[in-house]
Amino acid sequence: MNRARVLVYGTAAVILAVTLVSGPAVGFVDLTTPRYDTSGLGEGNATVDRIDAPDSVTLERGYQSESYYLTVPDAKIRLASLSGKPTVAYGVDIPAFGYSRSTTHFLSEGTSGWVELSLQSDTLGSDTVTADAYEGTISIVLRDSSGKTVLYEEPVTVEVVR
Amino acid sequence: MSTGRAWRIDLDAARHRAGAVRTLLCRVVVGDRLGLAVFLGALVAIGLTWRIGFFISDSYTLANALVALADGSLVVEEAVYGTLESPGMVVHDGRYYGRNYGQVAAALPLLWALRGVTTVADLGLVFAALWSLVVLSLAVQVGRLVGRPSLCAVVGSGVALGAFALNAALAEPVAARLLPVAALQLGTVLAAALVATTVYRLGTRLHDRRVGVAAGATAVAATPVGFWAAIPKRHVTVTALLLGVVYAFYRSRADRDGGTDSLLTTAGFRGLAYALVGLWTWIHAGEAFVVFVALVAVDVPTAPSNDRRTLAVVGGAFLASLLPFLLTNAAISGDPLRAPRMLTPAAEATGGSAFGGGSGGTDGAGGTAGGTAVLPPVLGGVLATVADRLALLFEPFVAGARSVFADPESLYETFVRAGYDEYIGRHDNDQAINLSVLESAPLVAGVVAILATGATRATAAVRRDTRTPLREQFVSAVRTARSSPTAATDTFVALVAVLFVLVYMPRLPLFAQVTVRYLLPVYVLAVYALVRQDWVRRTLGVRGRAALWSYLAGVFLGAQLLFVVVAVWTVGRGGAVQLHAVAGLAVAVVFGVTATASALDDRFDGLTAVLSGITAALGTNLIALSALVYFQYGPYALPAVDWLADLLAAA
Repeated sequence: MNRARVLVYGTAAVILAVTLVSGPAVGFVDLTTPRYDTSGLGEGNATVDRIDAPDSVTLERGYQSESYYLTVPDAKIRLASLSGKPTVAYGVDIPAFGYSRSTTHFLSEGTSGWVELSLQSDTLGSDTVTADAYEGTISIVLRDSSGKTVLYEEPVTVEVVR
Repeated sequence: MSTGRAWRIDLDAARHRAGAVRTLLCRVVVGDRLGLAVFLGALVAIGLTWRIGFFISDSYTLANALVALADGSLVVEEAVYGTLESPGMVVHDGRYYGRNYGQVAAALPLLWALRGVTTVADLGLVFAALWSLVVLSLAVQVGRLVGRPSLCAVVGSGVALGAFALNAALAEPVAARLLPVAALQLGTVLAAALVATTVYRLGTRLHDRRVGVAAGATAVAATPVGFWAAIPKRHVTVTALLLGVVYAFYRSRADRDGGTDSLLTTAGFRGLAYALVGLWTWIHAGEAFVVFVALVAVDVPTAPSNDRRTLAVVGGAFLASLLPFLLTNAAISGDPLRAPRMLTPAAEATGGSAFGGGSGGTDGAGGTAGGTAVLPPVLGGVLATVADRLALLFEPFVAGARSVFADPESLYETFVRAGYDEYIGRHDNDQAINLSVLESAPLVAGVVAILATGATRATAAVRRDTRTPLREQFVSAVRTARSSPTAATDTFVALVAVLFVLVYMPRLPLFAQVTVRYLLPVYVLAVYALVRQDWVRRTLGVRGRAALWSYLAGVFLGAQLLFVVVAVWTVGRGGAVQLHAVAGLAVAVVFGVTATASALDDRFDGLTAVLSGITAALGTNLIALSALVYFQYGPYALPAVDWLADLLAAA
């Protein structure tokens, strides 16, 4: 056998061996672990001493379509202390058309200082968006061992950009 | 010791036989070593885009049917996925059945294999291991092809091991309940790779290997075949079948002058073409009928011979291939000619959102779908009934032709600019995420140059034979088609493409199409039409490098540029897809013009080569960004790609 052949068969053998060894039959090692360990989520404690939330939100007309695209700028919170794995939900409500959406962020131990919270954008149909502006609410809710704490809840202007 | 010796001899014989079987399998499926490389390369590329899960709710029907079939039953008793009221599910005698049983049956052995593999391997790592092994074998094949086995072995092993290590480090558990859908997806992924390799074989047989490889790669990477490759719908599978039909059709004529290396006789290849159409009925009888009509119309008049023996072979192969279809129908509805698609839909096709809603259950593109009870009840009315049935069978083509003339706007929206459509938009949050043919695959624009080629040829012909009467010219054209395998194949491909479009035109534009998926086979026929043109082959031959480099630049720089624009310019998924559409259409128009110019004058070849690379790249970019950014559902088959997609989503 020449060297190239040995290399190719060796590579294939390594790949197969690792797959087998980590498989359910052998179970020597588990290579498929969730990238984020969700155990103990929402437990622990966090102290937030400053909050920086946007005061306007835009509903922008989609390119070459009749839909509107809701974008909420990122909010920022400053952690004074953190233990365990509390979660922070960043949400927006637009009561005029019964809209509510929030994105939950996991705080992991070791995080400190300013943390950016993003809110996933969304698409709304043109029959929903009729006025030029709407009143909405931005909220930031902390969930830890002491339960739910509303950190921030303020009205926001939803600007429609056509 | 005599037993030991006998044993060794047996082992050698077995090894010899295994080698022979492998060689035979290789020849049948991929043709030759380069065909194998194209096949493996397509698998590597598609593997990167594979998300395990449901893109469209029609797939629930197939997945539930597969689970039922794996339990030994055609009746779908419970909805393992989604609901029993998913689009395409049918009810007969109060029992639920799926559809496209040919595709479901083909996925069954794959499901068994996956179940077997997952008893010893972690599902979260199975596809990563398989992908690395495919990369390794691709490297080995390429090494032998280019005569640098050591170098390719080193590179291939490095990439395979590196990718596997990265995937293993990032791997997450994948739920075992996704196995049946993964099996269905594996089926379409293999079908897509088969499309690439069959186009390669056809291109190589018609012209040369360079043309073959370019065409094979283009068919999957630059047309929506790549988009639908890992989505368990019928389109990629039937495209692979159609390519098989075209290939067998060509071989049944080209081998006439004593093809020494053929595994089948010319009659055998004809039989194969019909048999593949027969198998198609098991997936979608209406589409199969369309291809059958085109095949009979071109095959019978141009066949080398229609003697009784040949016809017996062809007819026998066709009837045998219809058996699975007839038996499945008989088992479900009691009527062998009543396919599941003709039964009562479990849920009315309400549509919903594009990716929640399906394409509906009444997918009968005509054909056998028309004949609910094909045998006439009373013999007296045979003639009238036959006429009736024929009218019913051909009605879809007539309706299609009528719709093309009555509603040219739909034709424009299907092929050129889809734009925003109120009816479709209602299903998609008022977005415009359904693209036209040219927007999805701008490369198709090159087909218009056929008009220029045709015009020049016609002018030359007319100038040459001004004295010959028109009738004789026609007769001589027919004679050419009969004597030339390529002319016959061209005619067949053109007829299939036209009939396919006609049959679907009354229903297009439609929601949940994304890239006009009904016409997926037509995209690949368009690639065929491209490689059959002289200017394309001349450009590939002389300016191949320019085309390749502009393709690579278009993919590696263009995709990043598009991604940045989409990320910065917050327009949402609808806006992002429209950006692709507008960019694609703009380049397609320019390419159409330069292609036509090239067809008339080779001074334009340089420009055409660059534009062909860019148009192909835009097709690839749509596939790549759709897979990585716009449409995410379920875990990626490769954990590293999953991680990358998460990263891009955060940007």
